[in-house]
Amino acid sequence: MRKLCLFFFLLLSVFIVEAQQKVALSGKVTDNTGVGLPGVSILVKGTSTGTVTGIDGDYKLETSTGSTLVFSFIGFVSQEILVGNQSSIDVMLQESVVGLDEVIVVGYGKMTVKDLTSSITTVKSDELVKTPTGQAMQALQGKVAGLQVVSSGGPGDSPTVRVRGIGSYPGQNNEAPLYVVDGMFFDNIDFLNTADIASVSVLKDASAAAIYGVRAANGVVLIETKSGTYNQKAEITYDGYYGTQVAQNVLKMANAEQFTTMAMESGSAADQSFVLNAMQRYGRSRVNPNVPDVNTDWYNEILRPASIQNHSLNFTGGGNQASYSLGTNYFSQDGILDMKNQYERFNLRAKIDFKATDWLTVGGNVVFSNALKFNDEEGAWNQAYFAVPIMPVYDEQNVDAWPEHFSNAQDLGYRSGQNPFPTLLYNENRLKIRKTIANFYAQFQLVPEKLSFKTTYSQAFSALDERNVNLPYYMGNNFQRPDATLTQKLSEYSNQIWDNVLTYDDQFDNHSITLMAGQSYRDEAYHGLSAQGINFPVDQENAWYIDQAETIPTTGVSDGGSRQYGISYFGRLSYNYNNRYLVYGTMRADGSSKYQQKWGYFPTIGAGWVVTEEGFMADNKVFDYLKLRASWGQLGNDKIQASDGASTTEIIKTAIDDVEVSGTKTTSTYSTLEWEVAEETNVGLTAQMFGNRLSADIDYYIRDTKNAAIYVKIPSTTTSILKNVGIIRNSGIEVTLNWRNKISEDLSYNVGVNFSTLKNEVRDLYGQPYIDGGSAEFRQRSIVGEPLLAFFGYKVLGVYQNQDEIDVDPAAPDSAVPGDLKYQDQQKEGEDGYGVIDDDDRVVLGSYFPNFMYGGNIGINYKKWEFSASIVGQSGNKILNRKRGEIIWTSDGNMDADLAVNCWHGEGTSNKYPSSAGLRKGWNQKMSDYFVEDGSFFRIQNIQLAYNITGVKLGGTKIPESKVILTADRPLTLFKYNGFNPEVANGIDTQTYPIPAVYTIGLNVRF
Amino acid sequence: MKRINNIIRISFLTLAVLFATACHDLLDEPAENKAFTEETDYTNSDNMILPLIGAYAEFYARGWEDFPLIAVRGDDVNAGGLGDQQDYAETDKYNYNKDYWMYNSVWQNLYNDMFVAHSAMEQVELYRNNGGNNANADQYIAEAKVLRGFLLFQLSRAWGAIIIPTSSDPSEFYVAAITPKDEVMKHISDQMDEAIPYLPDMNPNARTDIRGGVTKYTALAIKALANLEIKEYQKVADATGQIISGGKFTLELDFYELFKIKGKLNSENLLELQYSDMGTGSGTNYSYLYAFFGSQDWTPKVKGAGSGWGFYEPSMKYIKFMLDRKETVRLETSVLFTDRGIAEIKKDAKYASLPAWVSNTTRSGDKINDYARALFATGKHYLPSDQLTPGRTDYGTNKNFTCIRYAEVLLMHAEALTQGATSSAMTADAAVNAVRTRVGMQALSGVTNAQVMDEKYAELAMEWGTRFYDMVRLGNTSELSYDGRTFTANKTFLPYPQTQVDLLPVLGGVQ
Repeated sequence: MRKLCLFFFLLLSVFIVEAQQKVALSGKVTDNTGVGLPGVSILVKGTSTGTVTGIDGDYKLETSTGSTLVFSFIGFVSQEILVGNQSSIDVMLQESVVGLDEVIVVGYGKMTVKDLTSSITTVKSDELVKTPTGQAMQALQGKVAGLQVVSSGGPGDSPTVRVRGIGSYPGQNNEAPLYVVDGMFFDNIDFLNTADIASVSVLKDASAAAIYGVRAANGVVLIETKSGTYNQKAEITYDGYYGTQVAQNVLKMANAEQFTTMAMESGSAADQSFVLNAMQRYGRSRVNPNVPDVNTDWYNEILRPASIQNHSLNFTGGGNQASYSLGTNYFSQDGILDMKNQYERFNLRAKIDFKATDWLTVGGNVVFSNALKFNDEEGAWNQAYFAVPIMPVYDEQNVDAWPEHFSNAQDLGYRSGQNPFPTLLYNENRLKIRKTIANFYAQFQLVPEKLSFKTTYSQAFSALDERNVNLPYYMGNNFQRPDATLTQKLSEYSNQIWDNVLTYDDQFDNHSITLMAGQSYRDEAYHGLSAQGINFPVDQENAWYIDQAETIPTTGVSDGGSRQYGISYFGRLSYNYNNRYLVYGTMRADGSSKYQQKWGYFPTIGAGWVVTEEGFMADNKVFDYLKLRASWGQLGNDKIQASDGASTTEIIKTAIDDVEVSGTKTTSTYSTLEWEVAEETNVGLTAQMFGNRLSADIDYYIRDTKNAAIYVKIPSTTTSILKNVGIIRNSGIEVTLNWRNKISEDLSYNVGVNFSTLKNEVRDLYGQPYIDGGSAEFRQRSIVGEPLLAFFGYKVLGVYQNQDEIDVDPAAPDSAVPGDLKYQDQQKEGEDGYGVIDDDDRVVLGSYFPNFMYGGNIGINYKKWEFSASIVGQSGNKILNRKRGEIIWTSDGNMDADLAVNCWHGEGTSNKYPSSAGLRKGWNQKMSDYFVEDGSFFRIQNIQLAYNITGVKLGGTKIPESKVILTADRPLTLFKYNGFNPEVANGIDTQTYPIPAVYTIGLNVRF
Repeated sequence: MKRINNIIRISFLTLAVLFATACHDLLDEPAENKAFTEETDYTNSDNMILPLIGAYAEFYARGWEDFPLIAVRGDDVNAGGLGDQQDYAETDKYNYNKDYWMYNSVWQNLYNDMFVAHSAMEQVELYRNNGGNNANADQYIAEAKVLRGFLLFQLSRAWGAIIIPTSSDPSEFYVAAITPKDEVMKHISDQMDEAIPYLPDMNPNARTDIRGGVTKYTALAIKALANLEIKEYQKVADATGQIISGGKFTLELDFYELFKIKGKLNSENLLELQYSDMGTGSGTNYSYLYAFFGSQDWTPKVKGAGSGWGFYEPSMKYIKFMLDRKETVRLETSVLFTDRGIAEIKKDAKYASLPAWVSNTTRSGDKINDYARALFATGKHYLPSDQLTPGRTDYGTNKNFTCIRYAEVLLMHAEALTQGATSSAMTADAAVNAVRTRVGMQALSGVTNAQVMDEKYAELAMEWGTRFYDMVRLGNTSELSYDGRTFTANKTFLPYPQTQVDLLPVLGGVQ
C-alpha cells in the first residue's frame, strides 16, 4: 500500500514550464584584495543551470531576469545576487569566518553553524583520515569534547562510544549512540571506510538529538558519505597507506625467579611441589639453582607485529544536471595475536544526484561492504596471563601430545593445562560480514526556494556468516579436545526506513524561518539460525560443513528472530530574527512495538542570542562573534532490551532413562517496561575572538535519565530482570578552543584543545537505597548520590607488618597474620560495628567513568610541509583488575610482576599488597581497593608529517598533485594501571586486546 | 502558479494518505520467538507432564558446586585440591566466609530449582482446571513437591533458618519471614505427607512414564530424613518402616558397581540425578561435572580418558577407621589410593602393613598417580575409564548421581530404633546386618546406637555430608574435631551469602 502511494504521488507530480526573459550576463569574481578567483561556482538558484569562473575569475552566463545567482567558493562566504537588467555583475567574495558559515547536517535537514542553538560538533574528512584505522569512530578519539571513545585493539572490532557519559544502565548493548548514515539507522558503523565519509556530526545535547526521538538518548552521530558537486571537473584520487602495528605497554609478568619466590612463600605445599616438578622436568637454572631452567614470557610468545594497509580509489564530479561520487576501497589489518586473527574489507559505493527538472531532484546512494574477519580467541589473553613462566611453550617430553608437543602445566601438577597455544592454533573463528545500504530519494521543489518535499526510502541489509571451528588436540588427559566441533551461524538483518519530509523556508524583512514536518516508518527484522556438527574431516577445509559431520546434536541447533516496528511524526521550527535572535524547536512522536507503552513524545526548544549583533558590542576588540545559547529537550531510549510484558515458557531438555526428553519451564519473573526518557538542559556559547583567530565553544549540560531500566537481582535466584526504577544524572562542562593563525604565505599553524568533565550520579532509585550490580565477588553498587555501578568494597589501610600491629587493632580478625591486608573500620569507637570489619565497612571505591577527558592538537603548515600532532587523555576513572581477582577461583597461576615484586615478603617490605600466602586467603580477597586501580592515562594519539608534491615535472610530464604522509598513531601511552591497556570499556579488566601503536607511510594522488 | 498550487494540494493529500495508511497496528505485534505462557493451550492435557519434566530437568542440572559445599564438612572427607579454592578448604575446617562465591551460588541454585518446582505445580494446576486428568495432576504436583522437599532439606541442613518459598514468584521474599530449621523440617515432613497418597507405589525404576522419577518411597525417605534432623525418631521409624515393608527395594549385591554404570536406576536407589551420553561417543550429553572429584593424575586403562581436579579427598581418619574394622569392599569402593597416600598411612606404625588389595590401581585397572593436591580421591564418584562410552573422555560421563539409597533407609531405621523408637517392619539388628552382609562384614546382634552410627560412617561416607549432619545432631563435636580442626556448635550453619543479605536485609538480623 505504501509503495503504491509513493508511485501515485510521483505520477501526479506535474511538469512546470516557466517563460521568462533571457539575459546574457558576464562579470568577474574577486577576493577582497581584488585578485580574481578561478573555479567559483555560479548557479541560478533553484535550478541546475550554472557555470564556473575561469582562470582570472571571469565568467559568462545566460539566465533570466528575476532569477537569483549564487556565487560560492570553498573558504568564502556565498553571495546571492538578484538579476535585474544588468549585463555585467562583478562580485567580491569575503573570506568566510572559519566554521560559522559551515553548513552541517542536522536531523532531516541542514543548518549553518550560526543558526544552531544546540551542541553539535562536526568533524570533517581530512581530520578523520589522519588515523590509520578500519573503524571511523576510532578517528574521533580525543577530537570531540564530551565524546568518549574506548579503543578496541582487535582487527575489525568497533570501539565503545559514549556521548556525555552513560544515561542507561549498561550491559545490554545499549550505550552506543545512534548512527545515522545518509538517513539510515545503525548500531555501529564498522563497515564504513573512513575515507568515504564526508563529515561526522555528533549531536550531543537533547535539543539537537530530539528529532530522532526514541533512539536518541545516547546521542546521535550523523554521517554523510561523500558526494559529488554539480559543475565540477572529474577528479580521480588515490589514497593509501601501508604500515605495521606493534603491541604497546605489554604488561610485565612475574618471571620464573619471581614466580618461584611467590610459590615458595605461598605456604602451599602443593604449589611448592609444582616448582620442584618443573626443576625435575626442565632442569635448574645455572644462575639460580633454586629456579627451574625455563623462563617463558607468555605475552612475548603470543604477540606478533602485524601489518595494516588501506587503498582507496575515488571518482567524483558533476555536470549541470548530475553529480556523482564513486569509490572503491580495500582495507586489511592483521591482529597482533599470533593466531588466525585478521580483518579484510572491500567496499564499493556510488552516489548520484540528478536534477531531473527544475522542481525534481532524484538521487540514490549505495554502499556495499564485504568483510572477512577472523576473530581472536579471547581466552588466549587470559591464559597467557595465568600461564606459569616455569613452563616452556613446547615440551618434547610430552610425547603423547598431538598435533604438536606443547607443554602441559598439568604435568607439573597444576590444575589446568595453561598453555595458550592449543587455544590459539586449534581454533578458527571466521566471520563473513556483508552489509549493503541503499537509499533512494526524490525531492520536489513545490514552491521555488520555499517549499520542498523529500521522500527517502532506505534499506540496510546485513548478512553475517559465522563459522567457529574447534579442532581436536591432545596435550594430556585433562588437556584435550577429543572431538572436532564446528558451529555455523547465519544471521540476517533487514532494516528499512521510509522518511517523508516537507520543508518550508522563507525570509521576509529581518525574519528568517524554516519549518519542517515529517513522518517516518521503520521496520527492523532479524533472523538467525545456527547448528553444530561434531567430527568432520578436519584436514580439508572444504569439508568444514555440518553435512560432513558424524554427529549433529539436536541441542546445538537454534533458531531465533525478532521484528520491531516504529512509526514516527516529527516537526521542526527554526527562526532567526536579523541574525540576532534565534529560536528553535522540534517535536517527535514515536511509536514502537518494543514495549508495552507504545507511544512516546519528545519535545525540545532552544534559543540563541548573538550578542555581537547588538549595538553595544560594535566597538569591542575581543569578540568578532559571540552567541549565547540555551536548550532543553527530551529523548527516548529504545536500545534497552525489549520487554516480554508477560510470563514466558521455554523448552528445557534432560535425559530420563538414557533418552532425551523435553519439558517446559515457565518463568514467573518478567519485565514490563516503560520508555526510558532522558531530559537534558544545555547552556553554552559560541565565540570567535581576536580577529577570528580564536574560536571557542563552551557548554554546560545536565541530563537526567528517568525511568531508567535497571537490572534488579531477584533474591535467591540467579535471575535479574529489568525494571524502570531509577533516575540517572550526567552533567558536565565541555570546552573546545581553537587558535589558528597565518604568519606568512608560507607558514600557518593551528592549536586546539578540548576537555570535558563528567559527573555521573544516581539520583533516585524509586525508594530503594541501592541496587546491586557486578558479580557477588566483585560488587558494583548503584547508590543514590553515587555514580552508577560504583565499585563497592573495603578500603585497604595497609598490610599488617607484625603481630604487635594486629594485637593493637581491634578490627583485626582472629585469623590475621602479618602479611594480611588491614581494612578500614568505618565506625568510630563507641559506634555500633566498631572493632570488627563487616558489611557496614564497605564503601564506594570509585567509578569506571572518567570525570575528566581531554584532547589537544597542533598543526603547522610550512610551504609544502604539513605537520600535525594530537594528544588524548582521561582521569578519574577506576579499573577493576579482575585478573588479580581470579585467584579467588584458581590460585596457582602466574601474576603480574608488580604484584610479585611488591607484595609483602616480610616486615617492612610492602604496605600495599598482601603476602603470597595472604593472597590465597579469603580475608584478602574481599572486594577492596586493592583490586580497584586508577585508570587515568595520557597518550600521544597521532603524529603526522606530510609533504605535498605539486607542480613538479618529471621528464616533461607533470606529476599529478601528490602527498606523501608518515604517521605514527598512538605511539606512546602513559598510565599507572597494572594492565597493558587502560582502555577498558566497562571498567572490568579480564582480558583486553592490547592497543597497538601503528606506524604507516601513505600516499595521496589527485589526477 | 496554478500548477504549483496543484502540486501543493496533491502532496498534502498524499501525505494525508500516507499518514492514514501507516500501519499503527504493527506497534501491537508481540515479540518474535517467544512462547507466551498465556497462549499455552492448557486444554491439551497431553502436555500436562511437560512442566513436571521441566522441573526434573532443572533438578538434574545441578551446579557442580552444590554437592561439594553441602557435603564437604565432616570427618569422612576433606576439601582436597590443596592450594586451590582456599575458602572451600576453610569451609572444610569450619572457617566460613560469607563472601565466598560458592555460598551464594549454591544458595541460588537450590532456590532457583525450588521456584521451578513451584512453577511446575502451578502450571499443572492450570492444565487440571482445563480438563486435565485429575489423578495425573495430583501425581505430578506431588512429584514436584518431593523434588522441592529434597532441595529445601539440603538448604536448611546447611544454613539452618531460611525462607520457605510458597510460590514461583521470588519477589514474595521481600516480605517473607525466616523460618527456624526445626520448623522447616516439620514443613518438609508435612509436605511429604501431602504428596505420598498421590505418588506411584513402586520402585522408581519400575515407573514407565518417568523412569527413575520419584515415587511414594522417595517421599517417605525424605520425610524420614527431615524427621531425623529434628530427632522425631518414631516418625523416622514409621517412614522407613513403610519403605522396608513395601518391599520394592533391594540392596545391590555388588557394592563397587553400585557406584558405577550398573548403579544407574538400580533397585537400591530411591532418588538419583539422571545423566546420559545417550550411548553415543559424541554429541548430546547430560552430565554432572565429575571432574571436580577426579584424581588430578592417572594412567587410565583406556587411554585418553580424562581425570579431574583433585578435590574431595577421603580423610585419613576415615581410612584408618575402615582399616581398623577390616573393611574391604566398602573401603575399596570409597577411596582411590595413591602411592603417596599409601606411604602416608604407613607412616603410622599401626598401619605399617596394609592388606594386599590396597593399591594405587583400581580393580578396574586405572592407576591413580601421585598428585600434590591430595593423597586420596573419592571412589564413589569415580567411573572407571573402561566404563566410559568409547569416544567420551570427560571424567564420570554417563554416571548418575545417587541422592538416597536403600542402605541409608535401613540405617536410619536402625538409628531410630536404637534411639527408642519402635517398629514392626524390621529390627535394628536385621537392618544393620542387611547392610553389613552385603559387604562381607559379620552380622552383629543387639546393635547399639553407637554401632549404627559407625555403620553409617562406613556405609555412607562421602555421600551428601550425612556423617557431618549426624554428628552435629548428636552433639558429637569431638568426632568432627580432627586433624587440627575444632568444631563447636556455633559452626553448625553456613553464614548467609553476603549478596543475599544485601538483597534481603531480613537475613541480616538472624545470624
